Amino acid sequence: MLDTQSIKAQFPVFNGKTPQGQDLIYLDNAATTQKPQQVIDAISGYYGGYASNVGRGTYWPATKATSNFKQAREKVRQFINAASEKEVIFTSGTTDAINKIAAKWLSPGLSEGDVVVTSEMEHHGNFVPWQQACREKGATLSVIPINDHGDLDLEAYKALLNNKVKLVAITAISNALGTRNNLELIIAEAHAVGARVLIDAAQMVTHERIDVQDLDCDFLVFSGHKLFGPTGIGVLYGKEALLDAIPPLAYGGGMVKNVTVEQTSFAELPAKHEGGTSHIAGVIGLGAAIDFVSEIGLENIKAHTGDLTKYALEAMQGIEGLTIIGMPDERASVISLVVGQVHPHDVASFLAEKGIAIRAGHHCTHPLMQRLGLTGTCRVSFGIYNTKDEVDQLVATLIEVRDFFA
Amino acid sequence: MNERLKALYKSEILTRSQNPAHFGEMPEATHVLEAYNPMCGDQFKLFIQLEEKNIKSASFTGYGCAISKASTEVLTERLVGKNLMEVKQEVALFLRLISSDTVEEPDQMTTDETLLAFSGTRQHPEREQCASLSWSELAKFLAEEEGM
Repeated sequence: MLDTQSIKAQFPVFNGKTPQGQDLIYLDNAATTQKPQQVIDAISGYYGGYASNVGRGTYWPATKATSNFKQAREKVRQFINAASEKEVIFTSGTTDAINKIAAKWLSPGLSEGDVVVTSEMEHHGNFVPWQQACREKGATLSVIPINDHGDLDLEAYKALLNNKVKLVAITAISNALGTRNNLELIIAEAHAVGARVLIDAAQMVTHERIDVQDLDCDFLVFSGHKLFGPTGIGVLYGKEALLDAIPPLAYGGGMVKNVTVEQTSFAELPAKHEGGTSHIAGVIGLGAAIDFVSEIGLENIKAHTGDLTKYALEAMQGIEGLTIIGMPDERASVISLVVGQVHPHDVASFLAEKGIAIRAGHHCTHPLMQRLGLTGTCRVSFGIYNTKDEVDQLVATLIEVRDFFA
Repeated sequence: MNERLKALYKSEILTRSQNPAHFGEMPEATHVLEAYNPMCGDQFKLFIQLEEKNIKSASFTGYGCAISKASTEVLTERLVGKNLMEVKQEVALFLRLISSDTVEEPDQMTTDETLLAFSGTRQHPEREQCASLSWSELAKFLAEEEGM
């Protein structure tokens, strides 16, 4: 286990108390993570110390801002092992990146009879953009079903594949059930029929080391805020040849080579896709977050949250009236559950009074909830600062909830 | 069990959510309203039998948390035997009673213990939408009826 005491000390939020005077037990890490001091310092350091636009400034502090901005991109490149910095495009987040790929890469070449494959367990952010693109172009959206354990039905997936499939858009890890999908197989099968693959790595990014070259995915997207970084910044990774072929994702300043009244020639990657002033503080904050995670080590994080998840599952499975939703073959640090007939929001309100933060509801996965026959679940998701003692408090309170509403 | 939770989950709310007396469809309904909160998925159908300007009977079906279900149960109970003007006044009172924006103390606004049971949402503004879900839908319906 990690030294949670020294880790917690780096997160200012845990120095304070809830309005009811308790210590915060934060178990909603799949929604967003808390921010360590070094990320906050990196952001305020930019605003307070060397705020300026990046790119062409020849003066200090623009030179420092530009240098730190570039360094952050290199940190992201190393973090996901992209072949080149040209393959790292900053966006406002996972959803923004997916929407841009749907609008600028998929949609223009999509026609009637084409197929986009996604799955029943997707977050709306990796579902609705593809659904709408298919509707507009008369293409077909094929949805990989899940089995009763909450794993993708990979035989059904293989049956959906053919040479009409343009894209397979799949999450690495289900934000609602915690299922870790077999990306290696999914990508290989898709490539075998000539389809491209986009990986939604929003949940994966704190769970395990990402190696885009090893995975051989065509696109991969994630947000900074689930990686202890700021909100409003995310990453679109794409293979260089693909990103090169896509028209600019946003027109504006900073993404041109030359502009005349008649026409514009565009800058090289990655600037080509980043029109307008970037979220500079966000990029620098994301770089600091990657440093923070690298110092702890993703392997250590995975081992720690994995231990907590196992510990929590064992404790929860012994409680009468509590049902774990989904028992996938491989699970990240996410557990969905229901407590008897108690509505998830009543459970969450009750826990909140003890300073325990969990998420209740549909987790932006309506198709999954429909498949499960539920309107919502209670979701617990662990992070580096959580402890077994916190799990004990959670489990004890769930028993109280069950008895209170019985 | 702390005081704030006790205030939110009054025993009347728990009892009414667990054993609602007006749960079920009503074939003779003249109006069916749908109250839906897309943020949480809570969803109720309100069945109302309106004769001239009087509500003869009311019931509901659907799914929601303890607060939203109990408040819907109380709503359907209160509708029966009232005319639209009386209902409008009660709906307005209820929505003000549960709102954290209301300055007046709840017990200065009414002595009705059943309605007062829901004023605990003032300390839990995130749950106000649970208590108001069906009542707000009815308020919209009343405004439309009035406009006709």
